[in-house]
Amino acid sequence: MLLSSVILVLREVLEAALLFSLLMALSRRLTISCRWVFLSLGIGLLGAAIYGFNIDIVSEQFEGVGQELINAFLQIAIYLALSVIAGLSLAHRQGRKAPPLLITVLMTLCVALAIVREGSEIMIYLSGFLAVENLRIPVLAGCAIGAAIGVSVGAVFYFLLLNLETGTARMAGAVLLLLVAAGMASQATLLLIQADWLPAQYPLWDSTWLVSEQSVTGQLLYALVGYEATPTALQVGAYVGSMLLLGAIAWCMSEIVRRRAQMPAHGGAG
Amino acid sequence: MHRCLKMLPLLSLMWSCGGLAAAPVFEIEIRDHLFFPSEFTVPADQKVKLIVYNRDSTPEEFESYELNREKVIMGGAKSVIFIGPLKPGIYPFFGEFNPKTAQGRVIAE
Repeated sequence: MLLSSVILVLREVLEAALLFSLLMALSRRLTISCRWVFLSLGIGLLGAAIYGFNIDIVSEQFEGVGQELINAFLQIAIYLALSVIAGLSLAHRQGRKAPPLLITVLMTLCVALAIVREGSEIMIYLSGFLAVENLRIPVLAGCAIGAAIGVSVGAVFYFLLLNLETGTARMAGAVLLLLVAAGMASQATLLLIQADWLPAQYPLWDSTWLVSEQSVTGQLLYALVGYEATPTALQVGAYVGSMLLLGAIAWCMSEIVRRRAQMPAHGGAG
Repeated sequence: MHRCLKMLPLLSLMWSCGGLAAAPVFEIEIRDHLFFPSEFTVPADQKVKLIVYNRDSTPEEFESYELNREKVIMGGAKSVIFIGPLKPGIYPFFGEFNPKTAQGRVIAE
């Protein structure tokens, strides 16, 4: 029980922690205060508890696929927020003042939604097994260890990103943001296929021989960039398409910021 | 253009009927953190609707790397998961909350 608790919690925490670290590093680069992390943690944990405790009601909706639809919605919302963040930080890097409040709100939203998505499963797990008396200690200990490892990996990732040379960091940050966002879109697609809202398909390829999803590398790649060993054509399409869309959204956002910056400045950043 | 628009409801109806007709239903149960049956055969090359009943009081998460599926099923609840189309072969699945005991496999043929 201890080991399975560690693995379960680690897998969930890792996804949220890596997104958390990426956005924290980005907000440091943009010299935006990192105080938003506390707010997003609070909102995220509260949301995870509410979602987790109502999962039975959610699951029954839409002929039993409510869970998939809500989760897909959460992933798409994170994707869209990341796209706008990408655009605003692009504008910022081009020397135009991007509204820091908007970036902060979007980052808070992203991390909070990721915590709702991943944290709700931990809440469900805890609520189910804490009630069983002889499992209480191993489950709690396992969760604590899993969470600690997940947060540590996130911290290592954060400091890695911060310690890169400015040029490399920009490139790495942009590429990672793009891949993380595409991973969200591809996971949302998979959930909609599971719910039968998108047509079922054969996998396009099987790269298990190269990186197994069950290996440590596979798990890390899944958590970070949504790696799948056997994706369907729809998922691959969503992955590539969402990257192109993110590029388009980011470009539009940076244009909007540029035009606003060219107007006589009297409103400030809003 | 108008004719195309008129075709839309018909097309969507055909789509959904096609989906319903093409998905045979398989039911499995979770009892004492075990799957019953823990092994079952589904037709290869078509979509299958899996209904999982969790008879335990504790929640479980149906998970499979090979099937690319993951879903929480609360204690005493049932859940719908669509899988496939699968090429002939063996596809293991497990309960992520009790991976030591809750193990099973889908055989597609």
